[in-house]
Amino acid sequence: MVIADDDDFDPHLLEEDDFVEEVQSFEFWFGAVEGYLVDRPYGRSPDTPDPELDDTRRDRLITTLCNYCVGETAALEGASGLVRLAPNHHAKVFMATQVVDEARHLEVFLRRLTDLGVVDTATEIQKRANPALLDFKSSLLELVDAGEWDAAVFAQNVILESMEFTVFRSHAENADPVTAEVLQGVISDERRHFGFGENDLGRRMADDPSRRPRLQEVKEQLDRIVLSVFEGALDDLDVPVADRPRLGQEYLETVERLGLT
Amino acid sequence: MSDARDAVAKNRHTYELEETGFNEVPKKWRKFYRYWEGVGDVLAPNEVVCPVCKVVIRSKRELRPGDKVYCMPCMSRMVVVKAADGSLEAEVIF
Repeated sequence: MVIADDDDFDPHLLEEDDFVEEVQSFEFWFGAVEGYLVDRPYGRSPDTPDPELDDTRRDRLITTLCNYCVGETAALEGASGLVRLAPNHHAKVFMATQVVDEARHLEVFLRRLTDLGVVDTATEIQKRANPALLDFKSSLLELVDAGEWDAAVFAQNVILESMEFTVFRSHAENADPVTAEVLQGVISDERRHFGFGENDLGRRMADDPSRRPRLQEVKEQLDRIVLSVFEGALDDLDVPVADRPRLGQEYLETVERLGLT
Repeated sequence: MSDARDAVAKNRHTYELEETGFNEVPKKWRKFYRYWEGVGDVLAPNEVVCPVCKVVIRSKRELRPGDKVYCMPCMSRMVVVKAADGSLEAEVIF
């Protein structure tokens, strides 16, 4: 279907198949990212102030950004493998847009590390990476290598992306202006990623409920690692312990909607 | 406008939507969404919050239970339902 470009058109009246085709398209992606990335090289406006950070704050930010790079690399490698596994053309196209998003995220975080004076980013990331996050990355890529679309999308687009969405939003509230602006662009991308995961899996489980036990199994296997990764990220950001249950709530709501509790 | 849409419009309050700064979908769709402003933000009769990504979904007509709406920013499809407190909320449908 060609969607009319007139003032009378209401997206809520789209047929379901037309909606999925529209939002999973590269055309949609181009129009979306144009809204929040234009005139922002490396995710930041050239006019955004970049005050010098004290040594303690700078060091904490470097550790946080190094772990963001690990997470984004996991998603980049995962999404690129998932293009081949995607069960239909629209999902393949969407996953290709996600590959581009994840590569951009990695690039902007590496750039921010360079801004902060890190010369050898690869070595610094290796030195500061949270072991639990590395475990999660290995688990995700094993699922991709095994050709398990449902399980890998659950690990990547539901677990990892929900976690990143929550952590990035929390961080953006207290970050320096440049890091906050970079994070806002990433957060806007994450909405598409975790939304795709929940809706694709929800639809597939509605069509074939026998898919659910495997996802419950993967969730149980990854829950311990996820908790450790989440705690590590919130420690790095100095988030008060009392606020943490609230931050984990959105992930719990997602797995509940999917019937995976 | 089709006969069906015309009939619906006659029975409901309709709204002229304008962009409010939401920029995460292509331009032609932006007026149908807005950012949730948190505590103190009040939903209009043509608005519901997406339970997945917390963006406010806006319609050109007053919403009623049973209406289907789409959240383009997170690709979710949902149906409007009446909450226990009488307000309208959206439930994801797969």
